[in-house]
Amino acid sequence: MSDGFPPAPGGSFPTAGGFSSAVGGSSSVPTAGRSSTAGGFSSAPGGDPPAACLLDERALAAALEREGYFADEGLRTAVHLALRLGRPLLLEGEPGVGKTEVATVLSRVVGRELIRLQCFEGLDAGQALYEWDYPKQLLQVRVAESRGQEVGDLYREEFLLRRPLFRALEADRGAVLLIDEIDRADSEFEAFLLEFLGDFQITVPELGTIRARTPPVVVLTSNRTRELHDALKRRCLYHWIAFPEVDRERAILRAAVPGLEERAAEGLVRAVQRVRGLPLLKRPGIAESVEWARGATALAEGGSPWPVALRRALGLLIKDEEDTRLVAGHAEELFRDV
Amino acid sequence: MSEPTGHAEKPSSACEPAALTKKPSGDPEPAALTKEPSSAREPAALAAGHLWGFLTALRAAGVTTALPKQADLLRVVGASPPRDLTTLYWYARITLLHDIGELAAFDRVFTAWFRRGGLPDAVPPPPSGESDAPSPQGPGEDDPAPREVLPGDGVEASTLSTYGRRDFDAAGDRWRSVTRALEAAWPAVLPSAPSRRRRPARSGDRLDVRHIWRRAHRHDGEIVELRRRARPPRPRRLLILVDVSGSLRRHTPDLLRLAHTALRAAPARTEVFTFGTRLTRITSALSHPHTGRALRAVSELVTDADGGTAIGAALHEFLGVPRFVALARGALVIVISDGLERGDCVPMVRATARLSRLGHRLVWWSPLACSPTYRPVTRAMAAQLPHLDHLGGVRDLATGLAEVRRLPAVLSGPRRAAARRPHTPRPTRARS
Repeated sequence: MSDGFPPAPGGSFPTAGGFSSAVGGSSSVPTAGRSSTAGGFSSAPGGDPPAACLLDERALAAALEREGYFADEGLRTAVHLALRLGRPLLLEGEPGVGKTEVATVLSRVVGRELIRLQCFEGLDAGQALYEWDYPKQLLQVRVAESRGQEVGDLYREEFLLRRPLFRALEADRGAVLLIDEIDRADSEFEAFLLEFLGDFQITVPELGTIRARTPPVVVLTSNRTRELHDALKRRCLYHWIAFPEVDRERAILRAAVPGLEERAAEGLVRAVQRVRGLPLLKRPGIAESVEWARGATALAEGGSPWPVALRRALGLLIKDEEDTRLVAGHAEELFRDV
Repeated sequence: MSEPTGHAEKPSSACEPAALTKKPSGDPEPAALTKEPSSAREPAALAAGHLWGFLTALRAAGVTTALPKQADLLRVVGASPPRDLTTLYWYARITLLHDIGELAAFDRVFTAWFRRGGLPDAVPPPPSGESDAPSPQGPGEDDPAPREVLPGDGVEASTLSTYGRRDFDAAGDRWRSVTRALEAAWPAVLPSAPSRRRRPARSGDRLDVRHIWRRAHRHDGEIVELRRRARPPRPRRLLILVDVSGSLRRHTPDLLRLAHTALRAAPARTEVFTFGTRLTRITSALSHPHTGRALRAVSELVTDADGGTAIGAALHEFLGVPRFVALARGALVIVISDGLERGDCVPMVRATARLSRLGHRLVWWSPLACSPTYRPVTRAMAAQLPHLDHLGGVRDLATGLAEVRRLPAVLSGPRRAAARRPHTPRPTRARS
């Protein structure tokens, strides 16, 4: 180990501001977070590295769990690397596996403001970056006229409407920027976003260039309804969030549904896992199984026996008429150990 | 677990993951790595070499890893050496992978390099590239061009009558009127997306304040009229993929004529490809204004007409060329094919799913679907159905016109609705 980097193919690494080289004889514990300055990581100059405790993976995992988010090792690594390398994190997965939730929880964990940009078809720079507040400018003109004053400069900051990307740059302590469902925006917007993610600065012709004081932590989510450009994927770390395995889903349910008993949770999770194995049009995500558990618990408290309550609340898990029929046809094997 | 102590003046060894020494036995490398620290240079170089070998193997296996991503991995491994193989696996997967579809290949290479220590089986890279160059006509080529029907020619039978019954045989007038109707119908049905740039418009969602201002200056600051800006609609691209394999030989000329009408109606926004056993881009050949000459030019170009069928392979060839993928992005994609795939239908279904994700809408026209009793029950079509927005029946110009007129409803309806149409029952898929 040394302080230098291996020469990169076709380029060279920034020389790191002193990595902790793994001295320590036979300890195989990584030294992540042990006073390693992130000078070599932050892509933008002048960026504060996130708090040192967050660079430790275990601390990060514990913090996520405290917030009620149970992440598997892959997702933990992904979040850790995104903070560490200062790269955007692209999350893909079926709807309802908690992609958006990652950003929400992360903003609480790192103690930064969450700024969300919801994408849709036809989203343009004016809705994502900034716009001039024309009505306000017009009023200003009229007021100045009625008082007989000079109109003055109408392109000042007070006439600027800040949209999410702009606010993410201006946040004092940096922000967590969630760009939700990027696959819904059109590909031209993707190209524009690429530019923004490249150097975290915006040029407003009337005001000049505005650069991020602290580069935001960027999380992008996509439902794969559309292929993203390779150029965008190249910039991002990538993680596919799969449906959770039995133990993790049970932990999530226990945390999210207070009145749920251990045995009931066990049976319910097994039923959900089996339902996901069916050829459905829309497989239920974590959000649906949590809703189902909540609904069934409420019905059970109202006096229904548990298996009956589960079946009555099935509309919270399956939300398509054809799927409902399919599940009803397989009811025996699905609910055999509930 | 012995770890070489760092030598500050030794370059190119920061990417030495400590975990690499924790290899399963039977691997040649641990022996080298458990030397005394004095010869620490060697294991470091070995580990670095191993990592490079892994990256090279990934490329060879067809997993695209961009250089910045590789740099990310090396930086991470150098800064915080992974505890164990699982950590290294996640480091590598999150930094290098960028599509879940390549996961299987990635896992294979990773296992081969880090868990078994052997060399991976050589995976041939996926064939890429395109063959647009016209090759000499094959003997199987028999797509004679019809004689041109010029105005004033009177009734003219098409020379294509060898293809069996033709609906417009001895009915040149009717055929001409259908063609004209098609050319009029296409522009009206093509979907549009708002363009990125706002232009001055009669009515719009924004005030053109800059303009209003300039007018107001002339009237001493009094606003006398409002100007607006709007985002004018921009027609989306239209991409037509025509099957020219032998099973469709009766319909091929008509289907090409149908594509020709689209190309004439929206020349700048339409792309046409044919596929049989291979893929051919015929946009430029088909763009001659005269139908007859256009078809002649196409028949010189397409060498796999009336041959076998390899829909999956041809579509994958299409999706393997980034330029072509860009044509499909956000476009209205129309595939004209009977979907009768010989052999394994999985590649075709995969390609269709990807086309469906790329395009704005994916419409599939099949000559078989003209029959009222047709049901998409072959394994291939049944598996495809969930990815299609609409499955229609087109076998000649008249049915083509009917389907073109049906497009607006498809474009405004929900996505992937072909499987939910009342007249097509849910395909019986293998229930697990």
